Amino acid sequence: MNLTQQVINGLVLGHAYALVAIGWTLLLGVARLVNFGHGQMYMLGAFVTWWAVAKAGVPYLLAVPFAMLVGAAFGLVMQRVMLKATFEQNLVSIMIMTLGFGYVLHGGAALIFGSTGQILETSLSRHEFNFGDLWFTGQDLAIVVAAIVVFICLKWVLDGTRIGRLVRMVAEDPKLAQLAGVNVRRVYYGVFAFEGAAVAFAAGMVAPRTPILTSMGFEEVIMTFVVVVFGGIGSVKGSYFAGVALGLFTALFGALVSPAYTTAAAFLVLIALLVLRPGGLSAGVAGAH
Amino acid sequence: MPHPKLRHIALPLVGVAVFAAPAVFGGSGAVYSAAVLIAIFAVMAYGLDVIVSDLGEVSLAHTVFFAAGSYTTALLSTRAGFDGWGTLAGTVLVALGLALLIGLVTLRLREFVFSLVTYAVGVVAVTLASNWQFLGGSDGLRGIPQLDLSIAGLALTARNDQELWPYAFALLVITVYLVDRFRHSRLGAAAIMTHLNPRLATVGGIDPARVRLQVFLFSAPISAAAGWLYAYQRAYVSADVLEAYFLILMLTAVVLVGRRQLLGPLFATALVLTQEKFFSLGGYVDKIILGSVLVLILGFFPQGLMGLVRPLQRLLRGGAPRHPIPAGTPAPSPPVGEPK
Repeated sequence: MNLTQQVINGLVLGHAYALVAIGWTLLLGVARLVNFGHGQMYMLGAFVTWWAVAKAGVPYLLAVPFAMLVGAAFGLVMQRVMLKATFEQNLVSIMIMTLGFGYVLHGGAALIFGSTGQILETSLSRHEFNFGDLWFTGQDLAIVVAAIVVFICLKWVLDGTRIGRLVRMVAEDPKLAQLAGVNVRRVYYGVFAFEGAAVAFAAGMVAPRTPILTSMGFEEVIMTFVVVVFGGIGSVKGSYFAGVALGLFTALFGALVSPAYTTAAAFLVLIALLVLRPGGLSAGVAGAH
Repeated sequence: MPHPKLRHIALPLVGVAVFAAPAVFGGSGAVYSAAVLIAIFAVMAYGLDVIVSDLGEVSLAHTVFFAAGSYTTALLSTRAGFDGWGTLAGTVLVALGLALLIGLVTLRLREFVFSLVTYAVGVVAVTLASNWQFLGGSDGLRGIPQLDLSIAGLALTARNDQELWPYAFALLVITVYLVDRFRHSRLGAAAIMTHLNPRLATVGGIDPARVRLQVFLFSAPISAAAGWLYAYQRAYVSADVLEAYFLILMLTAVVLVGRRQLLGPLFATALVLTQEKFFSLGGYVDKIILGSVLVLILGFFPQGLMGLVRPLQRLLRGGAPRHPIPAGTPAPSPPVGEPK
């Protein structure tokens, strides 16, 4: 095994995890909402991108924004249905509803796109860089760059702009924010649209690395959980580093131990984190909310 | 809630009607098959019902208990030659062990973190079941013998769905009885109190963590027992017992009629299964229907179908407003109030 190659794989994988998790980070940090349909939204993003490229002949660079639009629209529909529960902070209902949405997406995608696996090929994924024994594709490079750019932009928007201030006000105290004249409903809609668009963007970027199936998405959710929990719930910077760390761990575990059980290993990491730092976790929730 | 005396008369009548239902609806193999599955899945859902409705948490690991029941039954019957009682005992023990493990790990976790971990347990269970050769890997375990519950010369076996129906019905009746007893027990009251106001519960001398663990231990064997019978019904077990379908079905069964309705999960499961077995629009469309029902009920009718019936009941009673124990899950904090 070439260790350097595994580290490269891990870095790419890590940026992919961070990118996939970014919508959840904001969702949880700002609105204290969760989305168990996240994995299926990732699947939808991958299939819409694939459909646009392979069936409709749209260039890849346009297919990704198209998938993001579809993702954002779906996010808005979800938020519309869940609006009452969101204002009541009824997490039990929200969790179950997002699971239901994921299930609808699964059935719908299988109906529209068929249940056979597909390959999403892009001009970037065909381009390989070789340095001696080491190699990576243009798509890998694009994932790393995209993740870094998206995280920097999100951090900047949250910390330095008016929109970011409104969003943070709602995160701090929705009731007071409302009294202060913030349109809380619009912020919730915006956050869910962002979640839909962000996970579709991530899918458009990351899905070319693997075959895509309508039954996928579960593994992505677990990895997202680990990233969000490990990074400190709601922390943008934390999510980035947690994603990269998880990527390195998974790549090395897959190479050294067993590729079939990487999800199980990531789950054990999650459990260990929760048991070892439950205090840190709840502080994260309180801080984010 | 109906008058207690009325309840004592009504419940046995409902029982007789349910038992006779497959025969009334033609008694064909397909009808009995559907009836057995309705009973099994309703039992599975009752396990989750006490967690969601009484404890107010969403456990997404109940498919794992269900699957654990099926796998334990498959392993013990094919490799160790256990009969139905032996596999049932094994199922209950394994479910208790798993529930204890998951319960202890998640004891201090609440709300979405609890759900997140239990969801992860489910996903990891899928990878384990489809990769571990001990559990049959992706092929699963085949050749489960017919159900044999014979005791002391009394032959109690089931070769097909029609013969399996009395056992499925019995399991259902026992489950409904246990859930009813639970709701009238001290543990049930403590669970509701922990759910509605954990601080008050603590002041009242209740240890919420302990209550949560006890309810978890009570509920897991119920879902697992459903898996036990399901293994006999199908005669083989594979990782598809962990599919999202079972989770979505369970959750729909819990919320469709309204929470804390004793016969709610049974009625809801019957509705869903009847649609899927006799009015199916194809597997994918059925998925869309099931998922949409779940979403729309919670989004727009959080009280479930009972929420639609209650105003009618009130009208029939002469308009006297009544305030029963809230059937839906109240918000843990006061609502923010939707801006106009």
